[in-house]
Amino acid sequence: MIRLTVNGQAVELDCDPDKPLLWALREDVALTGTKYGCGIAQCRACTVHVDGKAMPSCQLPVARVAGKAITTIEGLGKTALHPVQQAWIRANVPQCGYCQPGMIMATAALLARNPAPSDADIDAAIGNLCRCGTYPRVRAAIHAAAALVEPPA
Amino acid sequence: MNAGLDRRGFLRGTLAAGGALAFDITIPLRAGEPAAALDVHHWVVIHPDDRVTVRIPQSEIGQGATTALMQLIAEELDLDLALTDWAFYEPQTNVSQGNVYVHTSTLASWGVKMLFEPMRLAGAQIRALLLGSAAAQLDTQADGLVIDAHRVRDPRTGNGIGFGALAERAAAAPLPDAASVRLKSPQEWRYIGRALDRNDVPAKVTGEARYGIDVQLPGMKYAAVRQAPVFGGRLRGFDAAAVRDLPGVRAVVRIDAGPSGYTVPPTLWDVIDWQMDDAVAVVADSWWQAERAIEALPIEWDDGPHARVDSAGIARDLAAALDAPGELVRSEGDAAAALADAAQVIEAEYHYPFLEHAPMEPMNCTAFVDGRRVEAWAPTQYGDEALRIAAYAAGVALKDARFHLTLAGGGFGRRLHNDYVSQAVQIARQLPGVPVKLIVSREESIRRSYYPPPLAARLRAGLDGDGALTAWQAHVVQGTAVEQPYGFTRLAYPVPHVEMRYGQIDTPPGFAWMRGVGHTQMAWMNHGFLSEIAHARGVDTLAFQLALLDETRIDAARADRADALARVRRYRRLLEAVAARAGARPEGIGRGRGHAVYDMSYVPGYRNSCIAIALDVTLDGRGGLRVDDVTASVDCGTVINPQLVEQQIQGGILFGLSNALYGTITLREGRVEQSNFHDYRLLRLAEAPAIAVHVMPSDAPPTGVGEGAVPVVIGALVDAIHAAGGPRIRALPVMDHELGLRADA
Repeated sequence: MIRLTVNGQAVELDCDPDKPLLWALREDVALTGTKYGCGIAQCRACTVHVDGKAMPSCQLPVARVAGKAITTIEGLGKTALHPVQQAWIRANVPQCGYCQPGMIMATAALLARNPAPSDADIDAAIGNLCRCGTYPRVRAAIHAAAALVEPPA
Repeated sequence: MNAGLDRRGFLRGTLAAGGALAFDITIPLRAGEPAAALDVHHWVVIHPDDRVTVRIPQSEIGQGATTALMQLIAEELDLDLALTDWAFYEPQTNVSQGNVYVHTSTLASWGVKMLFEPMRLAGAQIRALLLGSAAAQLDTQADGLVIDAHRVRDPRTGNGIGFGALAERAAAAPLPDAASVRLKSPQEWRYIGRALDRNDVPAKVTGEARYGIDVQLPGMKYAAVRQAPVFGGRLRGFDAAAVRDLPGVRAVVRIDAGPSGYTVPPTLWDVIDWQMDDAVAVVADSWWQAERAIEALPIEWDDGPHARVDSAGIARDLAAALDAPGELVRSEGDAAAALADAAQVIEAEYHYPFLEHAPMEPMNCTAFVDGRRVEAWAPTQYGDEALRIAAYAAGVALKDARFHLTLAGGGFGRRLHNDYVSQAVQIARQLPGVPVKLIVSREESIRRSYYPPPLAARLRAGLDGDGALTAWQAHVVQGTAVEQPYGFTRLAYPVPHVEMRYGQIDTPPGFAWMRGVGHTQMAWMNHGFLSEIAHARGVDTLAFQLALLDETRIDAARADRADALARVRRYRRLLEAVAARAGARPEGIGRGRGHAVYDMSYVPGYRNSCIAIALDVTLDGRGGLRVDDVTASVDCGTVINPQLVEQQIQGGILFGLSNALYGTITLREGRVEQSNFHDYRLLRLAEAPAIAVHVMPSDAPPTGVGEGAVPVVIGALVDAIHAAGGPRIRALPVMDHELGLRADA
């Protein structure tokens, strides 16, 4: 039995310790907002927060996250929409939307450690793949979210 | 949204939650809602509390169909968007009731183009029914009644009745004759033309949005699949015993080769008979277990006749086909004589590779087969065909099949093929009563896809002593395809002597259309070649294109003169507009701007959007390339939602750039060599240019915006690379070229 916290709730997983967190979240915890895109940590659609750090979950065995606090897209704005989600809605970022949970989780983690990222910071931090071409709106929404998180003095 | 549940269904008591619709349901209801909502002539569902659900007769693959199409019907029905949501149409309804949704296949950028009239008309007809219903109940005339917040009100008396109380009579009455209703004039529009927020966005940022891969059914098992690794290969056998005892494994089943689309009429393209090969699937308690087990499963394949096919051989076959005469498909004047007489002849060969669509959501389908019935859920671009494929694969009558569209994580043409629907249903058929979710791994999705075929072109141009373009000769050959590349025989630039020849070679992978289709393959080549001609003459490419777009050069005797004239004027107007918008050209070593313009007209007289692009690149002189800025001018007729247009143009530009810079699928020993995003590279955010989209005002009927930027941006890219002092790109992808600066630059 592997114990961890998912979106603030204690979870006990009765599954293979090698099972990637992505599939444990989707199949065992029934949280399907975290997406499978490649399985090799290339597309980052499966990005979640592990103790606050953005990580792809598709190659992360659940045994490695025992005792850790996981946040998924469903838990990001548990009580109210997270500023990143608000900025995403205002900018109408998603097209097909499939990669967006990963984009949003990566952005939330970026802003938590860097409240006013430059374009270069964004380039370095957001390696998530999008095939629809939302990148220009993603970039604009990250800057808008930064302003929401920390209004300019 | 389409989260609904019916407790009367055949899965009674077993479906708990999760976007599932049960078998005998006829309208999708919100979970927990009493079954009193009424379907009014297929297009809308009216709920007892006056709220309205609009049926969307297209797939949502990211293009915003659920928003744009809702705007059309909401306009005429005066819907209050706060009281309105949407659901996908039911393919069974459309197939069994004579195509009541008019246009359900999601391709060719034509959703809005094809449904602009039908959905406004449906809104106006249903409006008339609701007004008639209210007039009868209020004992007054329908004339003068108004709709306000889903109530029909008589402004003379102040009396009103909610939609919910009007629905029964409206649903029972026949739709009024189309000629008897009046559509609003554009001056009266309140929704059409407005940048309304997308109605699918909130769910897509909270994780609540349900894609096919997210369908959950009680007792559901998961399947992983392997199709014959060589195209056309057959299954000899597999050793199920080797994996049967692995954790979670429930079954190992075979999947038979067979149709994956367009086999069962009626279809638009009944000549197309898409096929899939034999496959094997493992069913397990978890998809991760299923995928691990199938990876370990010993499978013996008969690789068949294509086991030795490789990309080098295909390149040799294309070269040989270019040396053969080919079929003459267009001839005007005497191109051979004009070339013989020309003061200067320019010749070049262009190449385009196999590509794969790579939508972010891998192929998947959830299916349930029980007795004589099948029910399936999947992201697809053609729900009607998915329904037919599901019935065929389950071996049941069409009337005993249900298919439910889900949100799709991208499509780009890949999901016009319903091979994964057939696979899932074939698996579920062997496990009666057990819902099975098939997820095709990314590797399998890339290796066993359908692919736009490779193409090679030999282009020759003749210039007279004054430098005027007098002859254009094109010989195009491509791999197995259902037709010539679109736009091949059309050349917008008037040239007096034209000769075009076409040939095909056999390539084993199944043919696919991909966002931009054959237009992409041809248009960038033609633009690249124009850029070469301009360079040979020592003139600026933009000036050369504008000079060629000369109405007086159009032959007065041409049968399609009116079409040609309109095209030349439109191209000119858009090229001039984009050049002005883009402003001063980039200066400095390694910097350059390219220009291109095109319209994706499919057949003569097919009006489609026209797009011009200016694109700036920087070459760092050490092989690095950066696309800095892209400016697009767009004429797409009437705009339904400017925000959606901008998204689609941005998306088309980035899709085109990603493919042009990195996209290539290669074959070795009959197998696709690429397998995932480490070797099938896509553009990332850090590489994405700034994009400015400028939409020209127009009151013409709306035309498509999903694909049109793809061909244009590649033409502009190769022109820009050369303008920046880089090499002439005659074969994609760009990453295969050394991008150093030319000595003459």
